[in-house]
Amino acid sequence: MLRPFALYQPATVAEASEVLARDGRDASLYAGGTEVLLILKAGLLRVRSLIDVKRVPGLAEIRADDGHLSIGATATHRAVERAPAVHARCPLVAGVARHVANIRVRNVGTVGGNLAFADPHSDLATVFLVFDAVVRLASRAGERELPLGDFVRGAYETARAEDELLTAVRLAPWPAGAAGAYVKFGVHERPTLGVAVALMRDGAAIAGARVAVGCVGPRPQRAGAAEERLRGWALADLERHADEVAALAAGEVEPVTDLHGSSEYKRDMTRVFVRRTLLVAAARAAGRDTHARHPHTIIV
Amino acid sequence: MRAAGGRGAVSGRGRFRVVGQSVRRTDALEKVTGRARYLCDLELPGMAHARLLRSPYAHARLVRVDVARARALPGVHAVLAAADLTFCDPTYGPALRDRPMLATGVVRYEGEPVVAVAAVDEATAAEALDLVEVDYEELPAVTTLEEALAPGAPLVHTGEPLAGHFSDLATLKAKPGTNICHQFDYQRGRPAAFAEADFVLEETYTFPRIQHYSMEPHGAVASWDDEGGLTVWASTQNPFSVRAELAKMFDLPASRIRIAVPLLGGGFGGKTYAKLEPLAAALARVTRRPVRLLASVEDAFRTVRRCSARVRLKLGFLGDGRILALDCRADFDVGAYADIAPRVIQKGTYTTTGPYRVANVKLHSNAVYTNTTPGGAFRGFGVPQIVWGVESMMDVAADRLGRDPVDLRRQNLLAHGEEFAPGDTPVDGKLEETLGRLAEAIQWSQASPPGRAKGVAAMMKASVAPSVSEAIVRLHADGSVSVLASTVEMGQGARTVMAQIAAEVLAVPLARVSVVPPDTAVTPYDQTTSSSRSTTMVGRAVQEAAEDVLDQLRKIAAAKLGVPAGRLDVDDAAIVSGPTRLPYPELLDHHFGMRGGELIGRGVVAPGRTAAPLGGSTPFWEVAMGGAEIALDEETGAISVEAYASVSDVGRCINPQQCEAQDEGAIMQGLGHTLLEEMVYEGGQLLNGDLVGYRVPRAGDVPPRVETRFVENGDGAGPFGAKGVGEGGLIPVSPAVGNALARLAGIRLRELPLTPERVWRALRERRSPRPGG
Amino acid sequence: MHVIPIRSSCRIRVTVNGRPVELDVRPEALLLDVLRDRLELKGARRSCDVQVCGACTVLLDGAPVSACTFLAVEADGREVLTVEGLATGDRLDPLQEAFMDHGAVQCGFCTAGMLLTARALLAEEPAPSPARVAEYLRGSLCRCTGYRKIVEAILACARPAGVAR
Repeated sequence: MLRPFALYQPATVAEASEVLARDGRDASLYAGGTEVLLILKAGLLRVRSLIDVKRVPGLAEIRADDGHLSIGATATHRAVERAPAVHARCPLVAGVARHVANIRVRNVGTVGGNLAFADPHSDLATVFLVFDAVVRLASRAGERELPLGDFVRGAYETARAEDELLTAVRLAPWPAGAAGAYVKFGVHERPTLGVAVALMRDGAAIAGARVAVGCVGPRPQRAGAAEERLRGWALADLERHADEVAALAAGEVEPVTDLHGSSEYKRDMTRVFVRRTLLVAAARAAGRDTHARHPHTIIV
Repeated sequence: MRAAGGRGAVSGRGRFRVVGQSVRRTDALEKVTGRARYLCDLELPGMAHARLLRSPYAHARLVRVDVARARALPGVHAVLAAADLTFCDPTYGPALRDRPMLATGVVRYEGEPVVAVAAVDEATAAEALDLVEVDYEELPAVTTLEEALAPGAPLVHTGEPLAGHFSDLATLKAKPGTNICHQFDYQRGRPAAFAEADFVLEETYTFPRIQHYSMEPHGAVASWDDEGGLTVWASTQNPFSVRAELAKMFDLPASRIRIAVPLLGGGFGGKTYAKLEPLAAALARVTRRPVRLLASVEDAFRTVRRCSARVRLKLGFLGDGRILALDCRADFDVGAYADIAPRVIQKGTYTTTGPYRVANVKLHSNAVYTNTTPGGAFRGFGVPQIVWGVESMMDVAADRLGRDPVDLRRQNLLAHGEEFAPGDTPVDGKLEETLGRLAEAIQWSQASPPGRAKGVAAMMKASVAPSVSEAIVRLHADGSVSVLASTVEMGQGARTVMAQIAAEVLAVPLARVSVVPPDTAVTPYDQTTSSSRSTTMVGRAVQEAAEDVLDQLRKIAAAKLGVPAGRLDVDDAAIVSGPTRLPYPELLDHHFGMRGGELIGRGVVAPGRTAAPLGGSTPFWEVAMGGAEIALDEETGAISVEAYASVSDVGRCINPQQCEAQDEGAIMQGLGHTLLEEMVYEGGQLLNGDLVGYRVPRAGDVPPRVETRFVENGDGAGPFGAKGVGEGGLIPVSPAVGNALARLAGIRLRELPLTPERVWRALRERRSPRPGG
Repeated sequence: MHVIPIRSSCRIRVTVNGRPVELDVRPEALLLDVLRDRLELKGARRSCDVQVCGACTVLLDGAPVSACTFLAVEADGREVLTVEGLATGDRLDPLQEAFMDHGAVQCGFCTAGMLLTARALLAEEPAPSPARVAEYLRGSLCRCTGYRKIVEAILACARPAGVAR
């Protein structure tokens, strides 16, 4: 049961921004509602205004955008799962979207809603990091772009100003020959850990790597030292070095003890799953696929 | 109770018409079409909607409760705090009357109701609660057994305990000055026997706080009539207990109270004994209109749970494998109010020796208050908590003796007809057969492939005794039949089974039998729908009532035909004598001299008190065994159950498909507390009191291979030789998995659930044991 | 900008189980409560209330959504299918028959949600594997059955690959 609110359905970003500016903490953006309606029901948030941004034109669009993939803020997980543009440019993202929560949440929940809510236990922000994601924020005053890593500041905390809305997230497709994987692990309703890996190739060598770890700490992070270590190695050698790289990554995360486990356990699981994900990515780079299966693990 | 073959329309051929058939449930159609009606669907004219303000603190003094502003809100019919409950006795509880409808002077757990509002709709009720002002003064809380049992621990309850309404608990034994509200002791044989054992194992096992998560939470609708009579529609498993409670609280004769029970969306024990009904009745009284009080799932987490436990077991074995002696000291955490936990600790502890022959037994258990959600009944009723420990230790012993775990169990099993305890019912099943079938089902003699291992566990549980079940069967003038029995339908299919029994005895088509919904004004007394007892106890009552009708029909026919009643047969809704067929309508017509009237049959199953240790002899022994084959991801600690087999001795499956359905559900619920579920408290705060934080099994958790098997020797006291089913399938799950884990990875965990992290830690310990560890 | 002021209503036009319905609803009204309390369609149920259990599932333009966390105003101009809409007159949906035949119904509280979710799955994938069915039911909880008979019933309604309807 929800307490009463007014429902605004702005036709433009400016209109939405006006209401946000006017009502401040008494207002909340609303798209799919899978996050905001839950916290309203729980009484953790009270608002007088909900601002439904689904009628703002273009906000749901998923398209190629000057070499990038642009995913509109109000695109649902389901739309992302099925969009030809996603499959063409960043197919891993389609796979990750397919495994978010459950079918009902995917039908209604939006990418923008997910990123703006910044629940630490979520998949999309993690996988977006290995696509050098940039979010677009807009208000009456104009637009700006921010790398995702700067947008997500902490648990449930973003850089969105009070009168801004997130309008799109732009992903950079990997160069030809790159391979990657996303692996998520957890027993609970939300994921305990998510690892995204991208391996960029230069012939038989790894030209560059991206490793992102999410869910274990307040926000997802790229594991820079691990990425650095990978650069230059032969792909064929990866298996031998995967432990070392994984250990580095495990040292870089800031896990938090919660219902999902102790920080000690999460750090060790980071090591385990960074290694496992690297091996999946490496196999794919070599044109094979591992048929690895682990309990409570989804390999995308 | 003697084994009942049933005198019904079997015609001596041993074939049943409808018993033993997997007939479609009588409520299946309404459930798949959405026409089924549960408590939350009930609407009455003028009905008010109630909401509760619940305490945010685990233990606090209520300094001030100010409801004036809430009362003044338009649309609010009533706001009640403890001080307003002057028109009734506001305390209740089946064992100890320790639970106030609304917190009085002190709150004893996070989530305890403090204020109740009834308003024109839910939104107004919620708004009204926002206007209530409560000042709390926090008090030190005890939220673990260690804290609650520490000398000088803060007391959850002070003051003299009052006994509730159960005769077997008239001897409640609290330990004054402590948080122990009841103690159970049992002893037989010689305590000195331990000294004669060739080795003694001593270990402690713990079992977590588990939430029932019936998908339909609790709820009640109460309404008073102009003559001062009370009707309550309730999502409850025992309407007669609720009636007794309300009679006492509102000083009404039982005949002026009606408890009507619709379909339940699950129960599992969480809906036994009064929960929300007293508050609904109080609100209805004050508002003078019907009031509906529904719990949310989050409310349910703060209404009742499974009693957690710490079980210290000492087992003495002889070198040849015989169990010589057993000592159990169990502490059950029963939360802030006792509910039925005193009986839980008794029942659970009493069968610590399970299906085994043990001459020397010493049992002691405590029911310990803590400032947490009250612990009550939950499928298994104390037995899962104990069996987790005992069945794990049987494997520890097998390992020590170099014996096969199945073989060691077999050696110690009680024989058919052997005494379990002096005064109680002898063992009514062939335990060895059940064990043999389990070994077969799990392919015990075949080694597991690398990376997998198997474990087994066995259990035996008593059903509540003494107990009473009565039933009425009405044969209408047109030959159709109504069955009046107060068994509650909570998904287990019991009401379909009652129809099958009546249809079988009277040889009428199942479609011509209606089972009247439980209603204390209409359907006769049944103690409770729990304890796996309904098929045996209520089923027998229904069978007897139907046989009573049959007797009457035979007498009428005998008089009409001038033939001895004993020479008459029954077939296809008619009494038959040679070539002569007398359909029932014809017989009634003849008997009454008109087309009208009915025959009424009555069944009463009331074995009464006996010399058995718990006050009554169990009507049947529930026996079930389980085996698990698991794999382990050593890096993460995640267990995957690759196969699970369950064998239950049910005497006779009245409806085989429903028996399977029960055990398949029991297995998954067992895997829940084995691998996934735990209510997590930090200090006195419940951290995961919703379905995001509390993880119940999903379809993807079902093992790739699941087998359910049933032993049917017709040796139960229930109709057609039936016993009970429903709890047994759940109980062996955790030790079966724990034993498989021990065999696979050489680690023995003694707490549940076996989360990946717990297993991971144990594996690390195994690799590099801490010094002195 | 379209605004529904606080504590005022807005008219929605929804097709529910094939029939057009017009209702005035408040912005905060949840689809589940409108279906249950205004349209007397009690089949969808409130259980967990956090989009985990699926007891409140309805199909919105064929797609499963959690009615407990869905604003009724969002259903304007759309089609809603509840469990009451599965049967056509006396003719039950094959899934309903299968659930009954396979013993996939116990307390029944999850049943409506299960049926509609299964219906959506089979509409999209007529011949899912058992693993796929279990995966699709990730958000459909049952506390009674242990799921096996539910999955069996759904598979019984699946069409063998390559066989047209």
